[in-house]
Amino acid sequence: MSAALPRAIEPVELPEWLRAALSQPVTASLAPTGVQTLACEQILSWGLPTARDEEWRWTNLRPIARLSATSTIDNTASPKTPATDLTAFVPNAWVIRCNGGQLQPLPQNLPAGITITPLTEASEADCAAAFAPRAQGRNDALVALNTALAGDGFVLDIAAHADIQAPILIDWHDTPHEANHSHTRLLIRLGAHSKATLIEATPSSCSNTPLSTYWRNAVSVIEQGANSQLNHINLGLGDYQRLLTDRSFVHLERDARYRSIHIQLGGQLTRHEIDVNISAPGAHCDLLGLMMPRGKQVMDTHTRITHGAPHTTSNEHYLIIADDAGRGIFKGRILVAQDAQKIEAYQNSRNLLLSNTAEIDTKPELEIYADDVKCSHGATIGRLDDEAIYYLQSRGISAANARKLLVTGFAQEIIDALPYPELIAHLSELIGAGA
Amino acid sequence: MSLLEIKNLHANIGDKVILRGINLTVNAGEIHAIMGPNGSGKSTLCQVLGGRDGFEVTEGSVQFDGMNLLEMATEDRANAGLLLGFQHPVEIPGVKNIYLLKESLNAQRKARGLGELDTFAFMKQVRELVKSMQMDDAFLHRGVNAGFSGGEKKRNEILQMLLLQPKLALLDETDSGLDIDALKIVSEGINRLRGTDRGIVLVTHYQRLLSYVEPDFVHILYKGQIIKSGDKSLALQLEAEGYEDILKAAS
Ligand SMILES: Nc1ncnc2c1ncn2[C@@H]1O[C@H](COP(=O)(O)OP(=O)(O)OP(=O)(O)O)[C@@H](O)[C@H]1O
Ligand SMILES: [Mg+2]
Repeated sequence: MSAALPRAIEPVELPEWLRAALSQPVTASLAPTGVQTLACEQILSWGLPTARDEEWRWTNLRPIARLSATSTIDNTASPKTPATDLTAFVPNAWVIRCNGGQLQPLPQNLPAGITITPLTEASEADCAAAFAPRAQGRNDALVALNTALAGDGFVLDIAAHADIQAPILIDWHDTPHEANHSHTRLLIRLGAHSKATLIEATPSSCSNTPLSTYWRNAVSVIEQGANSQLNHINLGLGDYQRLLTDRSFVHLERDARYRSIHIQLGGQLTRHEIDVNISAPGAHCDLLGLMMPRGKQVMDTHTRITHGAPHTTSNEHYLIIADDAGRGIFKGRILVAQDAQKIEAYQNSRNLLLSNTAEIDTKPELEIYADDVKCSHGATIGRLDDEAIYYLQSRGISAANARKLLVTGFAQEIIDALPYPELIAHLSELIGAGA
Repeated sequence: MSLLEIKNLHANIGDKVILRGINLTVNAGEIHAIMGPNGSGKSTLCQVLGGRDGFEVTEGSVQFDGMNLLEMATEDRANAGLLLGFQHPVEIPGVKNIYLLKESLNAQRKARGLGELDTFAFMKQVRELVKSMQMDDAFLHRGVNAGFSGGEKKRNEILQMLLLQPKLALLDETDSGLDIDALKIVSEGINRLRGTDRGIVLVTHYQRLLSYVEPDFVHILYKGQIIKSGDKSLALQLEAEGYEDILKAAS
């Protein structure tokens, strides 16, 4: 995390409902008392980050301040279109449902090697571990807020040597909940030599009314033991009006491999942050992502990879497809510490503008203090190729379908990284339909 | 009724006049070759017939199979049975060849009131065509023309042609950049399309192709006009003597 900003910045007024939530008894949070109290004080004095905070230059949190005090999600009427059941596309998943941040009954008969403990029942030590990442300044204000208010969450433990074939799917349904916001905290620990796939999904059509707004502010702490392997898939298919901010802190031990695939197709404002700390030789991370803002949606991804040990590698590949007046933001920071030699870090940001009013901001940020480092980055912003559209039309394909083919084709390399053919087909359809 | 009837076609790119009164009639069952020096307007003619943006038709008419071709959208021309083989096929890295083939055949079927393809039958047909063009199945799963060699791109054009079975194929320098083996494969492909109900127009610089695919007519396009037409012996004459004498005689 970055250090506190030296200059004085006027805090942005917190909305009244957030202030009210912060003034409630300490039981609101599952964080250790001292930690919670500090976080509460921090967020009250900081307010929400603004464009003057380095990490928030492109993304304005005003939609959060504008939320009304209670959720406008109407859960009495039956949905016009039923929520997409992702289990149809992800075979044999262990499903954990979270409604409005509230953990539903945990799946029964979990296979040996998986333990899930709600934070409410977790040991003091586990709670301390779950809340270990601390906000260093206003750039991290949402972490402080989560720490102050995290009302639910769990610890997911994968035992050493366990090879969990079936994916664990966390289904973030936010329907039957009265508050307009939730703060969830996960601690995910992989024992040495273990292997697992975790899918977090915000499904589409959770709500009925176009006015519904709901904000989920999530923090996950991921600790991977030696030679462990985690596939972390994040699917944001959800509603147009949803606000989503989430941050993952990943810590990799020797030879551990972390792979994140993030697909964001829905949401009014989404901010996805991953901080990977590669702390031991042989560890590697792959970060892949696709965001597709349309209408007036704003979708933001910030990644921060710290190569803190020699012989570590990372690979980042992010795509943005922006249409209408949508805005996409990618910022990727790579830090190579002084004694971390023999590093390979590769970053690629490819972007497609589909309209004249869409906007894409992409920025690499490399801080390299070692000398034996192979580090490359590239960013491109393009438009659909008229020649290609004409060529496809000359084969009988309509201009609209030609666009679809080109847009899904552009997204394909990220989508194809998903290990489920049915899911790939489903996402390709959604992407084509939005093109 | 002729398959294609071009009358007094004039076309500009921006302020530049490129086509200055083209007249050409192609009947079903015929093969025509169009030859001519670089920059004379051969590709422009093909692209105007294909319906590419940026060309302005200032005079003349084109009837295709009884329809006013110039009023139709590019995709409608294709679905009505016109296939344009590009001199420089476009590379589309993200779109797999197999998707292009499937989408285009489905579009054609839809235009003809037929249902979607049966995937199994489609794959069988495509695999046979791939084999006949001596391409590898792997090409189907690569991006359209992406990183293909010149010869591979041209084979891919013929593959698409054979799948779509157009009434009229307009092949712009499909023989350029081919080695002798590839030329034979491509020529065989073109000959397979040949039939009493179809027409083929070959734009070429080389007699070589015409010895494999024998044309009924050869035309010379120069400065936007067809200045001379004849039978296949005209191509042989060109090969032997070059353009100079013919151009002189015609002017
Ligand atoms: N986009 C364009 N803008 C301006 N001029 C163009 C454009 N495309 C073609 N031209 C010009 O039109 C003329 C005819 O070009 P065209 O490509 O039709 O020739 P061609 O007969 O196909 O030549 P070649 O044998 O080299 O393929 C040339 O002078 C060319 O420079
Ligand atoms: Mg040409």
